[in-house]
Amino acid sequence: MEKKEFGTHISEMLNQNLEALFNHILAMGGMVERQMDNALQALGTSDVAKAKEIILFDKMINDAEMEIDRLCARVLARQQPTASDLRLILVAIRVAIDLERMGDEVVKLAKMVIAFDQINQVKCSDVEGYIELVDISNRSNQMLKGTLDAFARVSTDGASQIVAEEESIDRVFSNIMDQLKRSMQSQPDCFECLMEMIIALRAAERVSDHARNIVESIVYLVNGQDVRNMDEDRLQALLTKLQAEEG
Amino acid sequence: MSEQNMSVALDRDHRGMTLEGEEIAMEVKDWNLYYGSKQALQNINMQLPKNRVTAFIGPSGCGKSTLLRCFNRMNDLISIVRVDGEMTLYGEDMYAKQMDVAALRRRVGMVFQKPNPFPKSIYENVCYGLRLQGLNDKAVLDETVEWALKGAGLWEEVKDRLDENALGMSGGQQQRLCIARAIAIKPEVLLLDEPTSALDPISTLAIEELIFELKKEFTILIVTHNMQQAARVSDYTAFMYMGDLIEYTDTDSLFTNPQFKRTEDYISGRYG
Repeated sequence: MEKKEFGTHISEMLNQNLEALFNHILAMGGMVERQMDNALQALGTSDVAKAKEIILFDKMINDAEMEIDRLCARVLARQQPTASDLRLILVAIRVAIDLERMGDEVVKLAKMVIAFDQINQVKCSDVEGYIELVDISNRSNQMLKGTLDAFARVSTDGASQIVAEEESIDRVFSNIMDQLKRSMQSQPDCFECLMEMIIALRAAERVSDHARNIVESIVYLVNGQDVRNMDEDRLQALLTKLQAEEG
Repeated sequence: MSEQNMSVALDRDHRGMTLEGEEIAMEVKDWNLYYGSKQALQNINMQLPKNRVTAFIGPSGCGKSTLLRCFNRMNDLISIVRVDGEMTLYGEDMYAKQMDVAALRRRVGMVFQKPNPFPKSIYENVCYGLRLQGLNDKAVLDETVEWALKGAGLWEEVKDRLDENALGMSGGQQQRLCIARAIAIKPEVLLLDEPTSALDPISTLAIEELIFELKKEFTILIVTHNMQQAARVSDYTAFMYMGDLIEYTDTDSLFTNPQFKRTEDYISGRYG
């Protein structure tokens, strides 16, 4: 299916509302993307002021989620969408929740910058796990960009790579966690910093989980199949098939 | 007091509600209607905004069609009907003794449940009201017929067969023709009494879309049994029950967060 099909109803009001829904989701996604970019900058330079800005800006993301909920409720109550239109509403609600939670995870990264500053002005980049944190954050952010692009095109093109990327991030996350647990035991003096780093790593990894959730929602939007509990091999096979069909 | 009774009592406190930021086309004050000794409408108070679609919903016998017919004095044709209260059109008393009822009905047009085209050509159906007014200038009639058919979303389908008998059209087309006939005389208000109940779903959607377009030029009041239709087409919705106006508010609010249990029960299908 193509995005333009959502604008071909007899009801112009429905066309307008669905278009607005796409725009709201993409605008909200853009806000999360910017937050992530800013968080990476704040991490790199231990910029406390920027970190505080990120925390303040998160309210805008929360408001955007509420606006999407309101719009979805209005369309459901007033226009009784069916088929792909109904799926779009359900997906929009899910995606908005994922984006809002991504925003919360980015706030945790910002809070780490502030926490390190308060622990004798430690630089983020000096703490063990920093390289992995930046790696996971960057890759999660790229995943987010990819999912928003797929949502905008109502396409599963690229979904397979995003799912694979999420699994790869899981492996990086698992390895660094093992390493940090060992370090906490061997360097009890660094416990506080390492604890903050673990929280931040977990947050960055969660962003990739939410990006994957969005991909799963897009699959539901495109072909109506709920793939949330599908094992990896079957999911990859389905995505490959869908990609071929979209051709 | 039971919860249902309480909701009605609370609603009565809302009487005289004004619509913020809207220009008011019609206003109803302390309006009562009786069929003989039976009271069918009880103390209705409401304002109807210009260039908006206001829907009336409620179970059968709640008084919504009766109220709609009050807006162009169609109930005058029923001998046992008696009304009291005040009803105004842009501040003018519609029930004043000196009111010319025919002139009022030119200002407040009406479309009925079943399409009722005359057994005449498409063209003559549309210009029927104009001819009644004594207008026979061909150029003016042509222009108005085209304007009305375009307004009713029918022009492209019939422009090459305006001389054909209207009875040969589909039900959906006939209803749009009736809308064209109603708007041809350029009323200020258009009353629609269940205009799509005899139509298939696609024709219904076409009429609903038409209503959305027509509100740019007309104030529209629609009675519908179909709650989803009210949700789709209207800006404001009035829920009536047993002759009472229970809740009247903007359609978003009424269908997402009604203030009265009786409204909630009705729109969510808990009683009918």
